Amino acid sequence: MNYRKIYNVLGSILLLEAVLMVLPVMVSVIFRENIRTALSFLITMCILTVLGLIMRARKPLKDTFFARDGYMLVALTWLFMSALGALPFVISGAVPNYVNAFFETVSGFTTTGSTILTEIEPLPKSILFWRSFTHFIGGMGIIVFAIAIMPKTEGSAMHIMRAEVPGPSVGKLVSRLRASARILYAIYICMTLTLVLLLFAGKMPLFDSICTAFATAGTGGFSVLNKSIEGYANSYCEVVISIFMVLYGVNFNLYYVTLKGHARHALKDEELRWYLGTILAATLIITLELTVTRHPFGQSLRLAFFQVSSIISTTGFTTTDFDTWPTLAKTILLLLMFLGACAGSTGGGLKISRVAILVKDAKRTIKKAFNPGRVEGIKIDGRAVDEELVTGVATFLAIYVIVIFISVFIIAIDGHEMIPTLTSVITCINNVGPAFAEIGPTGNFSALSDLSKLVLTFDMLAGRLELIPMFMIFSKYIIPRKYA
Amino acid sequence: MNIIVVGQGKLGVTLTAQLAKEGHNVVAVDLNSAKVTSVVDTYDVMGICGNCINIDVLKEAGAKKANIVIACTSSDEMNILCCTFAKELGTQHTIARVRNPNYSNQSEFLRDRIGISLVVNPEYEAANEISRIIRFPSAANVDSFAGGTLEIARIVIHENNPLCETAIVDIMKKFKQKVLICAIQRSNDVEIPSGDSVIRAGDSISITGTRSELTSFMRAIGVYKQKINDVMIVGGGRIGLYLSRLLSQTGRNIKLIEVNEARCRVLSETLDDVTVIHGDGTDQDVLEEQNLENQDALVALTGIDEENIIVSMYAYSKNVKKVITKVDRHSYSIITDIGLETVISPQLVAGSLVTRYVRALQNSEDQSQINSLYHLVGGKVEAVEFSVPSGFKYENIPFKALKMHSKLLIVAIIRKGSIIFPGGDDYILGGDSVIVVTSGRSLTSLNDIFN
Repeated sequence: MNYRKIYNVLGSILLLEAVLMVLPVMVSVIFRENIRTALSFLITMCILTVLGLIMRARKPLKDTFFARDGYMLVALTWLFMSALGALPFVISGAVPNYVNAFFETVSGFTTTGSTILTEIEPLPKSILFWRSFTHFIGGMGIIVFAIAIMPKTEGSAMHIMRAEVPGPSVGKLVSRLRASARILYAIYICMTLTLVLLLFAGKMPLFDSICTAFATAGTGGFSVLNKSIEGYANSYCEVVISIFMVLYGVNFNLYYVTLKGHARHALKDEELRWYLGTILAATLIITLELTVTRHPFGQSLRLAFFQVSSIISTTGFTTTDFDTWPTLAKTILLLLMFLGACAGSTGGGLKISRVAILVKDAKRTIKKAFNPGRVEGIKIDGRAVDEELVTGVATFLAIYVIVIFISVFIIAIDGHEMIPTLTSVITCINNVGPAFAEIGPTGNFSALSDLSKLVLTFDMLAGRLELIPMFMIFSKYIIPRKYA
Repeated sequence: MNIIVVGQGKLGVTLTAQLAKEGHNVVAVDLNSAKVTSVVDTYDVMGICGNCINIDVLKEAGAKKANIVIACTSSDEMNILCCTFAKELGTQHTIARVRNPNYSNQSEFLRDRIGISLVVNPEYEAANEISRIIRFPSAANVDSFAGGTLEIARIVIHENNPLCETAIVDIMKKFKQKVLICAIQRSNDVEIPSGDSVIRAGDSISITGTRSELTSFMRAIGVYKQKINDVMIVGGGRIGLYLSRLLSQTGRNIKLIEVNEARCRVLSETLDDVTVIHGDGTDQDVLEEQNLENQDALVALTGIDEENIIVSMYAYSKNVKKVITKVDRHSYSIITDIGLETVISPQLVAGSLVTRYVRALQNSEDQSQINSLYHLVGGKVEAVEFSVPSGFKYENIPFKALKMHSKLLIVAIIRKGSIIFPGGDDYILGGDSVIVVTSGRSLTSLNDIFN
């Protein structure tokens, strides 16, 4: 392991985080807040700067950077960033308990959107801004951002990008990694600006528009209101947000392809078709059920579409307490949590492409059982998928299930009801946000014990970084045997 | 520039690495997905897995808008075909590796009629470089500029050398030859020296001057070696064949040892005035039987690096004056540490050639043409010869008035056939050739050297 290089890059990223904290300080100044809030950010910035400079003090001896170094860097980056990003919550007194603040920050960076806060509205604006801004940073990934602004990238940075960008296989858009990262961020920022303008035009206050746009962009789900998007009672904004949640759940590579003038090519993408098809089917079924049981058709459609796009893109905004919905609708939402968005989007979950590969592999295995001699490759977009990738996806599912089992087991010790225990883990590992029952759309995670919160924190990180990097912190590599 | 490198073998990877480092947008194409993955993981390039003769693959790699396609798959025919296709799709320039001697001497036809801009034969280029070294044996390596007016020679400083523990200024005072020390390599670091840099035993230094001045300088410091007449070549592959031909044309006595009997027969039929021996050249008894001790030079050219190294070390122990080792896996840094002075890698030689071509294309807009480019000391230092266009931005300004980048040295200015070793009062004029040595940065234009 090239620890020096890892800490060197980590140091740079902490400095970057310090720079990003300038924004909440500005918010604090604009809203003439209590000096303590601004100070909480300034103190954190000092800590980040000092720590960053110490880490950067020792120059790396060599430039070799292998896959495990990449995983290690990504795991440490997200842990450090969250651990230090939680400080403003504690120092400003908004969230006095550090474990709670850590949970909230991890939930922000991993774009989960699960909260331990019972009352959101009384918090200082700058804290709310930071809370939503973590979604924006975490959505596309801080390391991708670092790559985009770094003066020069080495080829081996691909290992890092692969560890941070979600999806079973990661490709570049153009031959330069930095250019690829810049394109991704350019698309991301442009879409977010458009969303801010659209929401502002829909009479949402500017501050709320920005925060909501950040949370939508990262597919996070933190809102500045207690009642989430329902609180605005603005059906125009609901529709705009629903559409953008769907858009952010699409593989960003497709936007690049579209911008290059191959829109038809992008629309033929198999994963996109599965994604849109699932949204359509789920929305229709839920709309029908709601129309039959409670609301008029128009309202049912709006509620169903918002909730479905919110859950499948793993955002977690709500416009109604879906916990009171009939069982079929609730079950569909629960299944959508697992499914998640497309690979290469800002969303979480298993990812549509993985599920597509799993379904095709299952079909193939069954066919093979009937006719053992049968040889068949798995195809996505008309191209054969590498068998190694197929095995990788199956293994991914296995690890995913094991992590869920162990987490549920630990959280069960708390003695809550079965449904919240089970769904809290599912919502966290898939980076969705709300669960069901006590921790549903109207509830929050504050009732859980500190141990459970830490377990869920791990689940959120594991879910966002696609499991493997987080296991690095349990490996023998975490402690340098020889710091060289 | 947008460059597609097709075929990720040894040469392909060398080129991909070099071109990506120089900041080009490189797309690496290969049939083997494992190779593509490893290249994409190591260098900042895009990878595409597929057959380069497939139009869709070429289109996906961006051949329509590419500036250069470099084809270096293992098959000459594939390379030629790939270049033709790419050209037809709209690529501006194409470079093909063509190794088969049957094809390579029709490079003019390939260029003028088929439209392949550059045909590279790494084995021939390597043989050419070896023959240049053998013709100037005192140096470990030698590269020439301005049509041979000026040369850069690398010599290894042994303990008894009078240059040891002396500063560059003192050397210049002591030996009044018009030569210039332009790079010092110490273990793995390379330094572009200033006046007070000190030379130590074990360093290898690069010096520039005319052939005659370099020769007399080497005489003065006692590293001069007599002309080489008897050369033993171990390994009769392509390089061996080319080299034997090149050297026998200059009237030297060549003994070529080849292990495969059928190949020996082919060699003896193609080559005149060359003694072809059938035997295992890596066998000590065979070498002794063939009188290794009385040879002036040994060139180890078998297909296996380890055997080349061991044969070379044996030759050193027998006090053969000049030993040249071919090493394909040039990335191992220990090779110079274990005492091999002259190491040749066909990939690096061909790599330099292609890089030079690419850079020349790149700066054709500001007209400071690159005439030659050499990678010295294992690729860590570059020596570049520019021809200065008239109306050059820094024309006629004395160097002391200009701010030059660090790690860079203007070695010589060639004006109307005469050589100037520049000082602070010298200046550049249009029509000059300027030779610049640099470490750590790649020059594409003469403007790059000034701040």
